[in-house]
Amino acid sequence: MTVNESPSTTNIDASCRVPLLALFSGAALWLVVSSALAVLASLSFHMPGKFGDIPFLTYGRVQPAADDALLYGFCIPAGLGVLLWIFARLGQVPLRGGIVPVVAAHLWHLGVLAGVVGILAGESTGFTWLEFPRGAAALLFVAYLLLALWAFMNFTGRRAGGLFPSHWFFVAALFVFPWIYSVAQLLLIGAPVRGVVQSAVAWWYGGNLVFLWTSLIGLGAAFYFLPKFSGRPLHSYFYALFAFWTLLLFGSLSGIPAGAPLPAWMPALSALNSLLLIVPILAIAVIGWKTVMGGAVQTCKGGSYCMIKFGFVAFLLSALLLVAGACPQVSRITQFTWFSAAQTQLHLYGFLCITLFGAIYYILPRAVGRDFAFPRLIRLQHWCSMLGIFLLVVSLAAGGLLQGIKLHDAGAAFDDSTRAMLPFLRTSTMGLLLMLLANLLFALNLLTLLFLWHLSVIKTVVGAALAPLGKTGVKA
Amino acid sequence: MSDENSSPKSGTEPTAARSHLPMWTLVVLLTLLYLGGIYFDHHSGWFDRQVYAPFDNAAQLDAYQPKSGAAAALAAGKKSYESVCGTCHGNDGIGKAGQAPQLAGSEYVITRGFNRLAHIPLAGINGPIKVAGKDWNMAMAAMGMALSDADLANVLTYIRGSWGNKAGEVTAEDIKAIRASLGARPQAMTAETLQALPE
Repeated sequence: MTVNESPSTTNIDASCRVPLLALFSGAALWLVVSSALAVLASLSFHMPGKFGDIPFLTYGRVQPAADDALLYGFCIPAGLGVLLWIFARLGQVPLRGGIVPVVAAHLWHLGVLAGVVGILAGESTGFTWLEFPRGAAALLFVAYLLLALWAFMNFTGRRAGGLFPSHWFFVAALFVFPWIYSVAQLLLIGAPVRGVVQSAVAWWYGGNLVFLWTSLIGLGAAFYFLPKFSGRPLHSYFYALFAFWTLLLFGSLSGIPAGAPLPAWMPALSALNSLLLIVPILAIAVIGWKTVMGGAVQTCKGGSYCMIKFGFVAFLLSALLLVAGACPQVSRITQFTWFSAAQTQLHLYGFLCITLFGAIYYILPRAVGRDFAFPRLIRLQHWCSMLGIFLLVVSLAAGGLLQGIKLHDAGAAFDDSTRAMLPFLRTSTMGLLLMLLANLLFALNLLTLLFLWHLSVIKTVVGAALAPLGKTGVKA
Repeated sequence: MSDENSSPKSGTEPTAARSHLPMWTLVVLLTLLYLGGIYFDHHSGWFDRQVYAPFDNAAQLDAYQPKSGAAAALAAGKKSYESVCGTCHGNDGIGKAGQAPQLAGSEYVITRGFNRLAHIPLAGINGPIKVAGKDWNMAMAAMGMALSDADLANVLTYIRGSWGNKAGEVTAEDIKAIRASLGARPQAMTAETLQALPE
């Protein structure tokens, strides 16, 4: 495994082992919980009576719980884990004081547990992406600060000189989350602002978290792994610099839908910035194309490389969908439909989650020093998640368009527009089931690795404890 | 993971090429900025907090405001009333204890004509007076002298047509005539002199 790597690389990987196991294993559990909840939520559209009598399984609780479990439960801890490892590798510095990120990881997962249970118990705050009750939010905030501080300390202590583009994306992500999370918590829950300003803050937060933060993490990882796997340098430093600043500038100012009941300049400014996002999207597409293509083509055979490439393409598509959805002409049709849900799912799962899967499949065996127990399942998982997200996104996007067109038809009854969604929702449930299977496979591989590692640690400890006794016993 | 492992450079950290940004990215950026700027110019209302979709700018909103007629008079009257009279009589016309009697339903307001009412802001009033069953004994300066004929007419129209009052309109010509009849320094009215005037 480490034939070509410098001797210290093994130490660097090993230094990340326990923090990564803590972050990734909890994340894998939340991933399964999230997709199980998402299947339940989707089922409630075609079997509304099934769970109607059980308060914590009603759509209004299950859907936000599924969304938050995916974003806060999987994407953020898994993304931070990947970030920690890439920082350590790029800077050629082992992660010091690993106990702090381990504690922070557990604190984070505890916060998500409190949040998801809170939502299911009906304690949701009612703001999209901020549903977690206060206590859970405080835990998350502290845990994130600790993780970010440790990552940043590793970053500033790097031995290998210059900055690699992934550095910028990751450092920005480290700072973006505490900033937007604290502002949104303060202005919406701590000392709520009045009236429609609340909606403006909620949209700003949602846009920055679901589009900007996730893009920074996913692209940071992709810009690290694409050149690594293709064996070619990233093309190029200056493209990435341009993409970084334009993404940060335009991405952070978009997110307010065109039909929002706010003074006209706010949706207009948001639409302008969404349009300008085409610039970083093009630059990023060129970076991916020129980095991957042209040299000796490396086949991926369903491994990490495939996933990162798929995630990269999913980013381009979802970002283009976002731009399209922000166009006032398109938004007029797609607002209040499933179209925007399709874009969000494509971005969160198709792009970020699958990119993180690829990264974790690459990182974890190196960090733990042991291969996955079921390497064949990795390929199966990739196919299931690809097919699942494809079914989910295509059905929701197409259904959303149809729904929007029917909503605009004064001659069609409202009932028609919702009924027209049914076949699409059934297909989306199939997609979610496939994603659930994929997530189960991912968790199976990951947790087996965790278990085997625990077992080996116990064996070593027991062996060390028993060894002298055994020797003396035999000799006597 | 065995595939990636066999690739020659998997162990080394990735590097970034130094090729420069091509000109077309800047051209795309500037083109989109230009087009987006035009869109923003047309649809933002330039940060005016009164402009909401589907309206695009303040001028468009203005076009929907009444320019003449009863609605315009009421709107203008409300504006002047709230800056000149509302402080004491209340923006809701129910008066304020110890400051000024109510105008809503007052017998000096909802009369058929407006001769008596118009004399109060033009000449001022003091001494005891009974308004809507309550006794008052205060003084009011000739607040209306500072307003133009048209403004005062609008204010009186507003007072006579708001808060449940349903008395008729007052025109600038009427105010002009009453002001002329009062002379330059009119004596403040009292309840008695007011009652002596024709409605």
